[in-house]
Amino acid sequence: MEIKKRERPAFNRDIAAAMKKHYSHTRSRTPLAHTLMSSNPLIEVAYAAGIQPAFPENYACVCAARHASPTYCAKAEAHHYTQDLCSYCRNNLGYTYSGDEAPVNGGIGDPDLLLMTSSACSHYFKWWDTLREIHQKPLVFVNTPRVMDPSNRPDFYVDFARREIQAAIGEIETILNISIPQHKLSHAVYQSDKTVAYWQKLLELQKCIPAPLGLSDLSNALFVLIVLAGTEEGANLMEKVYHETAQRAAEGKGILDLKEEKHRLLWLNIPFWYNLKILGYFENRGCTFPMSDYCQYIWGVTRMDSKDPLEGLARKSLEGELNTSLDDHIDLLIRDIQAYHIDGVIAHSNRSCRVLSVGLLDAANIIREELNIPVLILDGDHADERVYSEAETMMRIDTFLEMLG
Amino acid sequence: MQSALEKMAYAVQNAPAVLQNIKAETSKPIIGYFFPVFPAEILYAAGIHPVQLYPRLEEPITLADDHLQTYLCAYVRAQWDQILKGKHAYLDGAIIPRSCEAVTFLYQTWKRHNPFDFIDYLNIPWKNSANTIWFFTKELQRVKNNLESFIHKEITSNALADAIVLYNQNRSLLKKACGLRNARNPIFSGRDIFNMVMSGFVLDKKEHTQMMTELLSQVEETAAPTTPEPPLVRLLLSGGCVLDTRLLDIITTAGAMVAIDDFNNGARSFQPIVDEGKDPMESLARAYATVPCGFNTAIRDRFSFMADAISKHAVDGVLFAVNRNCETEKFDYPILDGKIRTRFNIPTMLIETDYLCAMGPLQTRIEAFIEMIGGKDI
Repeated sequence: MEIKKRERPAFNRDIAAAMKKHYSHTRSRTPLAHTLMSSNPLIEVAYAAGIQPAFPENYACVCAARHASPTYCAKAEAHHYTQDLCSYCRNNLGYTYSGDEAPVNGGIGDPDLLLMTSSACSHYFKWWDTLREIHQKPLVFVNTPRVMDPSNRPDFYVDFARREIQAAIGEIETILNISIPQHKLSHAVYQSDKTVAYWQKLLELQKCIPAPLGLSDLSNALFVLIVLAGTEEGANLMEKVYHETAQRAAEGKGILDLKEEKHRLLWLNIPFWYNLKILGYFENRGCTFPMSDYCQYIWGVTRMDSKDPLEGLARKSLEGELNTSLDDHIDLLIRDIQAYHIDGVIAHSNRSCRVLSVGLLDAANIIREELNIPVLILDGDHADERVYSEAETMMRIDTFLEMLG
Repeated sequence: MQSALEKMAYAVQNAPAVLQNIKAETSKPIIGYFFPVFPAEILYAAGIHPVQLYPRLEEPITLADDHLQTYLCAYVRAQWDQILKGKHAYLDGAIIPRSCEAVTFLYQTWKRHNPFDFIDYLNIPWKNSANTIWFFTKELQRVKNNLESFIHKEITSNALADAIVLYNQNRSLLKKACGLRNARNPIFSGRDIFNMVMSGFVLDKKEHTQMMTELLSQVEETAAPTTPEPPLVRLLLSGGCVLDTRLLDIITTAGAMVAIDDFNNGARSFQPIVDEGKDPMESLARAYATVPCGFNTAIRDRFSFMADAISKHAVDGVLFAVNRNCETEKFDYPILDGKIRTRFNIPTMLIETDYLCAMGPLQTRIEAFIEMIGGKDI
């Protein structure tokens, strides 16, 4: 696959540097907590407490992009974690068991404690529980409920999440023998909210024609939105990402120029992290991805008031794509397909992500029927490239693009 | 005794017809639910006939393929397939708990296609604390309110209290029947226990309790059978659920017995004993928060449950029978397996089961496993 070199936004270099620094911190700073990414209120709490968070999910993406995941997944499978399990988890367990002396990005350190919420995938409870067994470190668990019908969310869900976060703060303080001052939590929530505000404005810019950013640029910026949530560094970096993108939009500068951008596509589900160059292939064929549900709806959806940080964090834990109804999700997709001038959809049926894949076939059918927009479903996996067929995928993409014209 | 067991077996084998009949005779609405984490006492107190949903092992999955990918649990796909094909026409609705990913998000698909009049979900706690019990009580109250709107009737505290007593009695009887498997040559086979438990998900709870009472009183009057030689190998069977009774037959034929199980449609389902005479909703929340299903239970608590079962039931080996694509069970298996081997020094084996799977290869492995432990010479 020959991919034409295109000039990417300069902020990608800043994000790469921030990522390098983050991974360095996960090896050098203590206390270190392994925590998860989706709708997780404990990220801000960790930064407020002076805990360095590390994100095994993010590390799995990095390993996949460097083609290290198959080795780690195979290692986990040797410890009887079968291929039915999410490849993020297998990547992490394989990495943990491997004792790799030269891991990708230098690796992440062993945790001093584990922080988890049940706002992400259900099996993450099993994942973090497994990590507790392996590392024999304390697990602080915020047991937030799944919101299945956001428009009718009972008030007691927020009360409960708030109590859970409050209890988790108490547990962290006891475990580490520290105190987390209110002003530090407010500061973290303020920075996190500022990051989200710029992120939401950034997504709006993607409605411009041509799209100022590609999906790989947006995916990079997700690192800032999630991993650095609650830090001044994250807020400042996202501000920078936004301003550069706004400048590009004002100048009519896109990943493809106006004449080149023939089709604007929507990517559903998580990208193939081991084959991001496929996005370049689409660009070669005149297609951009101004939006994806992965970037648009899962994270960065909750605005928080730093005057009541617990309230904001509680709502954060109950919002995002994993806490929605299929009907609301489809309504949102239909709205944004029109707003972002989308004329085709690539839906990744991701065997490792059941959360985003159950309902995908229904969504695809509804988009076809209600908007008369073609949808291509690609089978794959977000990190384990062993179950990905390049030849079959490319053949299906080529056929899809020919049909698009 | 045979008569009660035969009735239970009939109810399991002909569940749709039996349920259709119950509906015709009682005019009660019927609501299905997944997994033993939902307190069916609430439905019973409402005058609704509860049924714990499991697919029937009958035909290939076809219609569900339009909605659910093949890498999802085949039992969930089969259940949805049979719903779409009208095989559960007796249902008036369903309650879907937050559990594994496939079932949790089936709620969305179910709601969108809305095959019945009532649909609700239930968040269950994954840890046991004052806060999670507070939440679970409120969550159960929310579902109760929705049910009351559905049937246009209040579910009274008295009705709940009566249902709690009845369900406690039923679970105690099932525990007692299971305890009889501790005899050297037990009177009930693995298939008998399966039919007792599964028929309890189908039949009216009062009727089922009467059947169990009669069955157990008859057992007390029956002389124990002579002891076979060599003695049976005693297994703990663990996994999400076992629906294919061919597996139980293979174990029996190979000279072993299921001394105790760790299944959603087995021993897990009759664990909770609900406090009587206290606030019914809170008591239900407290009790059901302890049901040791894989998706809501930490490994250390699952191990505690299994270790207790291994000790109490003098288990010789553990057979993990886990469904393909069951993330929950497969996640716990490696550490549970290691803990069991370390603590008890007994052999274990993992087999992968599936909806309508070929039993030949599994039979060979199970026979070898049992032979290794010391079963009869195959």
